[in-house]
Amino acid sequence: MVTLTVDGVKVSVKKGSSILEAAQAAGVRIPTLCHDKRLIPYGACRLCIVEVTARGKTRTMPACFNPARDGMEIATSTPALNSSRRTQLMLLLRSHPLLCPSCDAAGDCELQNLVFEHQIPDLPFARQSRYFHLDNDSNFIRFNMNLCIRCGMCVRICEEVQGQSEISFINRGMNTEVSTDFMRPLDCEFCGQCADICPVGAISSKWLVGTGRRFELSHVKTTCSFCSLGCSLTLEEKDQQTVYVNSSHDGPNEGSLCVKGRYGWTYAYSDGRLETPLVKKNGVLTEASWEEALDAAANGFARIKKSHGAQAIGALGSARLTNEEGYVFNRFVKSVLGTANIDHGGGISHLSLTEGIAPVLGYPASTNSIREIRNARVILLIGADLTETHPIAKNEIIMATGRKRARVIVIDSIKTKLTERDGIFLKAPVGSESIVVFSMIKTIMDEGLFDKASIGNKAEGFEALLESLADYTPENVASKLGIDVNSIREAARIFAQAPTAMILLSEGLYRDSSGVENARAAADLAVITGHIGKESCGIMALGEKANSQGAVDMGLTPQLLPGFALLEDEASRKKFDSLWKTKLPATAGLNAREILAGAETGAIKALYVVAENPVDDYPDRLQVEKAFKEAEFVVVQDIFFSSTAKLADVVLPACSALEKNGTFTSAERRVQTLRPSTKEKLGKSDLELFELLAKRMGSAQFTYSSPEAVMAEISKCCDVYAGVSYDGLGANGIIWPCKDSGDSGASILCQGGFPTGKAKLAPAGPLNAPVAKDGQFVLVQGVSKFHSGSMSMWSSSLIQVCPEPLAEMCTADMNTLGVEEGNTIRLTSETGESVRLKVKWSRRSLPGEIIVPCHFPSLKLNSLVKWNEPLVKVKVEKA
Amino acid sequence: MQERDALLKKKVESTVEVIPPEQLKALDEIIDKYAGTTQNLIPALKEAQEMFGYLPMEVQRKLSVGMNIPAPHIYGVVTFYSFFTITPRGRHTIRLCLGTACYVKGAKEMLEIIIRDVGINVGETSEDGRYTLEAVRCLGACGLAPVMMIGEDTHGNIHPPKTIGILDGYQ
Ligand code: SF4
Ligand code: SF4
Ligand code: SF4
Ligand code: FES
Ligand code: FES
Repeated sequence: MVTLTVDGVKVSVKKGSSILEAAQAAGVRIPTLCHDKRLIPYGACRLCIVEVTARGKTRTMPACFNPARDGMEIATSTPALNSSRRTQLMLLLRSHPLLCPSCDAAGDCELQNLVFEHQIPDLPFARQSRYFHLDNDSNFIRFNMNLCIRCGMCVRICEEVQGQSEISFINRGMNTEVSTDFMRPLDCEFCGQCADICPVGAISSKWLVGTGRRFELSHVKTTCSFCSLGCSLTLEEKDQQTVYVNSSHDGPNEGSLCVKGRYGWTYAYSDGRLETPLVKKNGVLTEASWEEALDAAANGFARIKKSHGAQAIGALGSARLTNEEGYVFNRFVKSVLGTANIDHGGGISHLSLTEGIAPVLGYPASTNSIREIRNARVILLIGADLTETHPIAKNEIIMATGRKRARVIVIDSIKTKLTERDGIFLKAPVGSESIVVFSMIKTIMDEGLFDKASIGNKAEGFEALLESLADYTPENVASKLGIDVNSIREAARIFAQAPTAMILLSEGLYRDSSGVENARAAADLAVITGHIGKESCGIMALGEKANSQGAVDMGLTPQLLPGFALLEDEASRKKFDSLWKTKLPATAGLNAREILAGAETGAIKALYVVAENPVDDYPDRLQVEKAFKEAEFVVVQDIFFSSTAKLADVVLPACSALEKNGTFTSAERRVQTLRPSTKEKLGKSDLELFELLAKRMGSAQFTYSSPEAVMAEISKCCDVYAGVSYDGLGANGIIWPCKDSGDSGASILCQGGFPTGKAKLAPAGPLNAPVAKDGQFVLVQGVSKFHSGSMSMWSSSLIQVCPEPLAEMCTADMNTLGVEEGNTIRLTSETGESVRLKVKWSRRSLPGEIIVPCHFPSLKLNSLVKWNEPLVKVKVEKA
Repeated sequence: MQERDALLKKKVESTVEVIPPEQLKALDEIIDKYAGTTQNLIPALKEAQEMFGYLPMEVQRKLSVGMNIPAPHIYGVVTFYSFFTITPRGRHTIRLCLGTACYVKGAKEMLEIIIRDVGINVGETSEDGRYTLEAVRCLGACGLAPVMMIGEDTHGNIHPPKTIGILDGYQ
């Protein structure tokens, strides 16, 4: 810590902080035009100059990149400083076209604000007119370089935070401007970070153009509904329409958003939104009144329950539901419908948490928080192409490997943007990632690099783990998977010897069940190296959907009750019996796959699908379709008329995440608030629908007045949510476990011990690496950063940037097959099904692999995929 | 208007087709020699320029992929140093704005005059090495339409028949 005074205020800050940070800590504002806390200080604008008196000498220096030192006395606003700031501003104004009245940034322009603040009434210099390029052709973002003040923030954020380097300063001297190469339109992540950070109107989001002045817009603070990182969003609205989305720089994500968060919200305004309930009459889905549809749904379930018993009903929920909805859904299914046949995410998405991490570490959750990644020295990515799946977590790795020179170990089947960073790339076929991790563990054990001092006190199962790893020697694994043996050893050593090391997994339906083994191996690795329970260590399992963690917390699985209680544990069951005034089934129910298999054979008669689209998203499309066709009675509750909804008997329109209240729990266990936009609400919230159905089915217990009341109940029965209440959530939510209302939550789990006493190291299974035969290609189900599940298909903006699926191939394979970019190919899998799509060259794809994004229902990619077979082998032909 | 759009595209296409792919193969040697770090970019660009005389888009793209350096960064470096050039150039670069405002206010006629009297179309250099003609989308000076830049000088509100007169000022 260093102590100094800023404008007479005494303040202590961490060593290495800048004078600017010290001033912020002292509550003193210093004007800046080229600084952002996410960026490396640059020193271009010279507005942040301050007078520093130390050891009897007074000097003027920029505050943003000079470190605060003990005993400094800082003056931020002397007449000399202000006069110098005024001169700087006047120089900027000399060539800045003063067209403020027609500029979209007016009122939200840092330059304008500072000119106002410094009262510059006239311009003593001759004006300079220079002309720079405009770009109106890029998606979402427009450039008017005449307004640029050359602060460099856009170029820096694109490189230092996004890792894209899509724009650069071009030309020199007076003619410098910001552009892509050859002034082509953008072809990048379209994160809009450049437009957001631009202090003036030089780069702006097109949607703001002509929609209204920033100060005329009203603001709704909410949470992103796409991936599990839980970025906070500010919906900026005019005339009850969202016109723009932004993020507060004080939120957990520091103002950074990806393309989905910033531009993807148009799905809520899609024509595909369901507004009127539908009921099947004479084999055709027909518009119906709410009364009619709700009665039909309730009566249908009651009829099946009466004639075939509750176990003939299956329910599929989703990690798109809020915590409150998930909780009430679980209650509705397990008590009113009376069955434990309930699952979500295909029963796959959550397995890495519940069956991988929890048995070893005691909590089915990530152990650390997202913002710790940037300070980790080594980062291990297991099958985690974060650029595509979790762009804002990717930014953390860009920052760690960039300015902090951390190293990244990537275990993946494809090259990713992150394999280009400094570190090691270990190529493992889809589904074999854990083999490489176990081999690293074996190396660490054999070379004695494990946490010898405390492993005995901290963990049990060391011997059994060692024994199970007999086959996992680096030599053996390297030869089976075709990797370089020294890379495995080096990766093991780097990971074990790093002062801090984090493991990142990404989860989702597209990954199939290999997630369990990956998570188990990851948990073992973290424990034996002692990289757990400390800052910038541990494991992050990043789920696909906004409430991936919450869905597990609320127990949306056949075995669980809310708060990780087991249905088969009598005491827990009793607790919920009395809380829910019911008699819960005593045994675990069927998982998603079993429910659908049951429907196919006739054991399951009724299906209740909420916010999930199994036909497009689950493996084995034909089987799933058959299950829905065979089932006697199907109710689908969704915001869109999805492929699954088309097969329903009753369709109930739900409202979108932009139209409801509730909370999501992010991948860092942060419980965050969802608030409705002022737009017109379509359909009813899932919570309302569960209550209406419960009432019709004779249960008078479902009388929650609001999501807030549901959370009050959750906090009573889920220990880790005990201290969570809407009042306490504040602007940035609360991280669980949160014991009572005074508790601000714990961002690091397993600090000073494991909930079960000792960590329980899981032994490795037998080594079998699935490999493709010669001439066969491996289909890698990819995720595109522009999409999320199949929901983003309804977002006109995301479809605009990524309108069709393309098969990514490498040059060698394209030459062998004799195909060029744009040619159509046919992929046929062992299921006998085939799909046709166009080819694109890509540097991500390695020989023998073909990457296809999983989102497009029109492609029916899931018809090529079987349950529990991560490695999809396909025949590829020119079509 | 369609014709105009074709011309605006042409600038890009004309540079794309300048160097046939077989000749681009020669770049592999440079890439092999220099790939690895960004520090090597400038010597690599120098050698590439010695090889081709200039650094058109496809040369920059190929270096970008081969050396794994973002294309905008390479373009930034190439445009920063005056010893690098993107097109085989005349002594004066004419940047004729074909943006909508300029186009309707007479840039079309100006283009026709240049094609007829100077004998060059967009992307071409005159035989006497005096001018290189480029079309640009918009110079951000629509109030002065039609606009033409010659080198560093901006000429606005041009009466099209005066085009050649203006060009004569640049020998
Ligand atoms: S949108 Fe994002 S990736 Fe694209 S140029 Fe801007 S900052 Fe870079
Ligand atoms: S475009 Fe905006 S952010 Fe980029 S350098 Fe210019 S003023 Fe700064
Ligand atoms: S990273 Fe995830 S949470 Fe953040 S804006 Fe993108 S989709 Fe939303
Ligand atoms: S903020 Fe310090 S120089 Fe711009
Ligand atoms: S159209 Fe020519 S300057 Fe804008």
